[in-house]
Amino acid sequence: MTLLPRRALLSLPLLGLAPASAQNPKNLAMVMNSGEASVSVIDMDSRQVIATIPTFREPSHWALSPDRAKLYIADASGNALFILDPLTAAPLGHLRIADPYQLGYSPDQKFLAVNALRINHVDFYDAQTFKLVKRFSPGSMPSHLDFSPDSRWSFHSCQGSDSLTSYDLTTMTPRWSVKIGKTPAGVLWHQNTVLVAIMGADHIVQSDPVTGAVQRKIPTGIGAHNIFYDPTHQIIYVSNRLGGSLTALDAQNLTPIRTYPLPGGPDDIGIDPSGNLWVALRFAESVAVLNPTTGNYTSIPVGRSPHGIFLNTELQKPGKLTAEVL
Amino acid sequence: MLDRLFSQLAGVIDQYAILPILYHFGWMEWEELSFDWALICVYGLFAVLLTYAICWPLEAWRPVEKWPTKKSVATDIFYTLLNRVGVIPIFSFLLFYQVQVFFTATLTDYGFIPPPLEPLIPPLFGHPLITFLTYALILDAADYVRHRLSHSFRAWYALHALHHAQRQMSFWSDDRNHIFDDLISFLWFFVIGLAIGVPPLQFPLLILFLKFMESLSHANVKLDFGPLGERLLISPRFHRRHHAIAAAGRKSCNYGAVFPYWDILLRTADFTPDYLPTGDPKSPEPLATGTYLQQQFSGAKLFAKAWQKKDHGLSLLAPPDIELDRAP
Repeated sequence: MTLLPRRALLSLPLLGLAPASAQNPKNLAMVMNSGEASVSVIDMDSRQVIATIPTFREPSHWALSPDRAKLYIADASGNALFILDPLTAAPLGHLRIADPYQLGYSPDQKFLAVNALRINHVDFYDAQTFKLVKRFSPGSMPSHLDFSPDSRWSFHSCQGSDSLTSYDLTTMTPRWSVKIGKTPAGVLWHQNTVLVAIMGADHIVQSDPVTGAVQRKIPTGIGAHNIFYDPTHQIIYVSNRLGGSLTALDAQNLTPIRTYPLPGGPDDIGIDPSGNLWVALRFAESVAVLNPTTGNYTSIPVGRSPHGIFLNTELQKPGKLTAEVL
Repeated sequence: MLDRLFSQLAGVIDQYAILPILYHFGWMEWEELSFDWALICVYGLFAVLLTYAICWPLEAWRPVEKWPTKKSVATDIFYTLLNRVGVIPIFSFLLFYQVQVFFTATLTDYGFIPPPLEPLIPPLFGHPLITFLTYALILDAADYVRHRLSHSFRAWYALHALHHAQRQMSFWSDDRNHIFDDLISFLWFFVIGLAIGVPPLQFPLLILFLKFMESLSHANVKLDFGPLGERLLISPRFHRRHHAIAAAGRKSCNYGAVFPYWDILLRTADFTPDYLPTGDPKSPEPLATGTYLQQQFSGAKLFAKAWQKKDHGLSLLAPPDIELDRAP
């Protein structure tokens, strides 16, 4: 793993104004544009893109370091983790790492799990040293992941093999791998079960974390892609990629509350302090800011194929922060 | 602006045409890539339209040659559509993607994580235009070597002869290649791409510009870029000399595709200011005037015949010995 020389960092051109300073931080949304190797930085108050930060190839998802001082952005085909200051979006260099797509720290913050979607690896790194602890080959195209809250187990959807795979982090051994549905994507630990979005169908499934067995299917929309809690954990949002909608589920009983039409390929979601949903729209090349009460939204143009989105207002909240669990 | 319009159009095609098909057949694992397929087609189509819009009036304005019929040009149009808008670019993209992934995975298994070019040359990072031009120069130099080699080996030239057989050379002629010749090109660039980590679709407008320049260089138009411009970018006049009748085969000149620098450096450039008739008199007639399938079949036969000869020939290192016909 290497860091860019300081000279190179100083030469990084930000196309636009400097995002913010540590002394006077702005409320910023950082949007990973998978299709054009950049991160758009949006001033959340003016809703303007104020900077565009280059990456190597294909930024996708993010994870916040345990000390919350670094935002790691996975750049899959660039074989790198780009590091930004999560408060100001200032670039801090990069680490060389194999094909990171989706990533997350275990709740005990011992491991950084990285799904390498293109090369079919699940890698566990030491969270402090980034030394590779264990590499697994779970199946084809491992995409999204989550952990049990006690950090014993991890769960990984594999899009190419239609499976969900679990590892025991205490022994670093595989637990099980089960067929879960056509092209599974987003994964979320929820009330002692595992929710998995089934992108090749129109629902999410609720799965037993002990055996992986599917207990229940919950219809949402065509191309169910990713799953997010609202900050109160009372509502679960599901982005339906192909259906062009968001489905809000009651987190207690997983029944649909409301469907928000949101054409343009909704993907990842961030939620700001006033409760607005910031949704990356892959095909529309924009971020929609949706008021969940009215269902109205405005769009902010960003780069090509916006994917992951991080709101620095999330830093104000306690608890673990990953792309899926806010 | 244009860039955004195209990618939004690709987004619409992806969302309403490609993804429903992937969903229907249970192939949604390809959804991350399907947008790129749409983008390739959109840019390919625009490249064809742009080339037509600019080159057709130029050819009508100052043609080098006037032809009573343009039957063989029609075949070249088919080649262009197949190569730029149809299945070939998507297939190439998929193949490149799969093999690149395989190599990356294998290298990673052996403990080496291949970096892209930018961290190896830090000043490139964050300067997308310079990065792109660096990639473009590397790929153009690689294309010069590939092209020159294709004129150096008998069997390889037997395939490449299809490209040279055209006597009615026009802006449509850039893509008229034997499919095996295309395959060799693909493998060639694949190896280079693996070595330098080419960003596939980061700079589509610039790729479009380079493809346009390649088409323009084949145009049937009396056009040069002046004494300085001729040495910066390849003009129709410069490239026409490469396609001249006497330059067909091993003793050719002006091998470059977009930039003439490699021809200048390696002493194969010929800036003589005239416009010569094109074609390869030694190649079978179907290569020049046959249908697409006839040309492919004839090219394969020529290749098989050349392959059976013991002397495959290599003249890469020999200095250019060019005696071109003069225009009447």
